[in-house]
Amino acid sequence: MRNAGLFDQAAAVAERVIREQGISTLPVDPMAIARSVGIEVKEKPASSSGVSGVLIRLGDEFCIAYATHIRSLGFRRFSVAHELGHYFLEGHFEAIFADGPVHESRAGFFSNVKYELEADHFAARLLMPNSLFYAALRSVGDGLAAVESLATTCCASLPATAIRYTECVSEPVAIVISTGNSVDYCAMSRALRDLDDINWIRKGQSLPRNCATRQLSGNPERIRRAERVEGASAFQDWFGGNLRSEVSEDAIGLGEYGKILTVLYSIELPEDSDEDSDEQVIEAWTPRHRR
Amino acid sequence: MPESRPPEYIFPERLKKARELRGLGQPDVAKRSGIQASAISHFETGNRKPSFDNLRRLAQALDVTTDFLMGRTDDIGGTATADRLYRNIQQLKTGDREFIEDWIKSKTDHARQRKPDK
Repeated sequence: MRNAGLFDQAAAVAERVIREQGISTLPVDPMAIARSVGIEVKEKPASSSGVSGVLIRLGDEFCIAYATHIRSLGFRRFSVAHELGHYFLEGHFEAIFADGPVHESRAGFFSNVKYELEADHFAARLLMPNSLFYAALRSVGDGLAAVESLATTCCASLPATAIRYTECVSEPVAIVISTGNSVDYCAMSRALRDLDDINWIRKGQSLPRNCATRQLSGNPERIRRAERVEGASAFQDWFGGNLRSEVSEDAIGLGEYGKILTVLYSIELPEDSDEDSDEQVIEAWTPRHRR
Repeated sequence: MPESRPPEYIFPERLKKARELRGLGQPDVAKRSGIQASAISHFETGNRKPSFDNLRRLAQALDVTTDFLMGRTDDIGGTATADRLYRNIQQLKTGDREFIEDWIKSKTDHARQRKPDK
């Protein structure tokens, strides 16, 4: 889950970079941003399957090298944006260079290292800044189709786009990234998080037994082929609690990544009980005149 | 000798030293670097840590190197070329390591060509 507030600085710095660069249209090009501040950008050879990205410093010269063994352009751009996060975020130079080479670096929200997660949040916000992303969000519908449309517009990876989608959408929505039958990551929209009687989906938790995502999870070949499934499941199967509602579920295999992205949406929430009582109060105090 | 203390202690001192050496006030450095004067004040007191972008802008504004500001060399215009810094060295596969070594070599060769032996 997103740690509210913890990564606000990373988001604010990314938004500042967008402003300073005068960027007003999507997609944002992280390679161009890097070059504009004098950072060399190079592709690693496709035969080199090591880290997704690397920031190299020699004196005052910098280079970002990114992996090409994963074909997704969105993944490559996210890797470059992640390394830019290390360049632009305060305090990172001490953590990633001066403290010694002890940090893991796999861009994509799955690291537990604070600085790597900060760089992930910076990257997501850089590629999908508020002013441009909200405008794009208005015309995309819902579910996986919405995430895919936004990912195309932003030229960003599906997982990163899905996470930004949950941050910006006003409806109750969750996205889950899983490997096998185990949850790697979950992000929920504010409307969903604000519900009282639910269990938040946690890392390491098993997928519900009867959900559509399970149809894909047992078949790595279907995941590799980026196949998709759609279904509906009970809200309680995912979130526990007492709410008896149905959830629309779209899932897609993330190709060579080997993971599944699931979007849970169209969740019918109970009508606001406060609103009801307001109406009742108004009704009770409305004077009735005899004719 | 380059400083052996962590950069969080060295940087504030080096920044102030370089600024005073150039005879500049914090507002002057702010104007030259495009960084807010309040941020420069915080950097000098150690209340805020700089980013690499801040370091480069400050180094340029003060005509020093980032290596000097980070305490990796005592030479105000010097570069710690032997100090090869890159992330993930433990995780790097041979191909990545070779790629990085090549980049560093091309940069040091280029620098050597620009600065002929005296």
